[in-house]
Amino acid sequence: MDVVVQLQRQLADHTASLFHEGFLNEQFNQLQQLQDESNPDFVVEVVSLFFEDSERLLNELAKALEQQAVDYKKVDAHVHQLKGSSSSIGAQRVQGVCIPFRNFCEEQNNEGCLKCLQQVKHEYSLVKNKLETLFKLEQQLIAAGGSFPTL
Amino acid sequence: MGAEVDHVSLMGMSGGSAEGNDRSEGQRFSCKNKLTALVVDNGAVCRAIQTALLRSYGVETEAVETGEAAVQLIASGATFNLIIIEMLLPVLNGPETARQIRAMGAQSKILGISAFFDERHQQEFLAAGADRFIEKPLSPEIVIPIIWELDN
Repeated sequence: MDVVVQLQRQLADHTASLFHEGFLNEQFNQLQQLQDESNPDFVVEVVSLFFEDSERLLNELAKALEQQAVDYKKVDAHVHQLKGSSSSIGAQRVQGVCIPFRNFCEEQNNEGCLKCLQQVKHEYSLVKNKLETLFKLEQQLIAAGGSFPTL
Repeated sequence: MGAEVDHVSLMGMSGGSAEGNDRSEGQRFSCKNKLTALVVDNGAVCRAIQTALLRSYGVETEAVETGEAAVQLIASGATFNLIIIEMLLPVLNGPETARQIRAMGAQSKILGISAFFDERHQQEFLAAGADRFIEKPLSPEIVIPIIWELDN
């Protein structure tokens, strides 16, 4: 079977499952619409920024929450940034965990915050993995001489 | 987010011209006049996305990381039709930045923005002279009517 057709199908299935399982939402489509000839790598670039930024924030959160006297204002600021960036790329599940995270922060509930940190790390690693697979499939498709429609 | 919006009708808001951005499907809304915007956000992801979104509608957009940089830019004489300011900027926060920009006589439309919609933050921003406070992400549904208003 034609390699291009096979890859297109794999890509379409993988993308569909990302939306279906709630990893990504409509906002991700917005990113794809912003990609064009003048901005050909926009999605990969922004998502890479998101990876870098999130990893930094997750480290900062872990550090902040293990202090003797937790600075909840700092934790809150990091959670804000994580929610802001995840919602901007459409990483719906990561964004979702930030909501209870912020509430625990306001209550200065250390245990709650730590639980949320674990959860958000988990969701982040899942979506990172799936997005990396997405980009790999796109690369393979282009290398095989095919192209993919932007949604 | 998660609002069910008919993107076709939003895209149909343009004057039907073929200039601006070429999309594989139909036309994208583009402003008629030269509009300028400033994005003030300490997060790289949000800065990149908000800037790209505004530029895709033909708005000449700059981005800075801090409130101080924004204030400096305007103090140096730069003017913008639209300024979008993140709430939780370090040092000079969003509302304080808005306040200083207004104090310099800037007539720009100022949008306060943040990851969480918070009434206290909204009040702070509006009291400081912002026109509106919205929750991220900056979406076409929010931004197109604002651009359209500024354009007409």
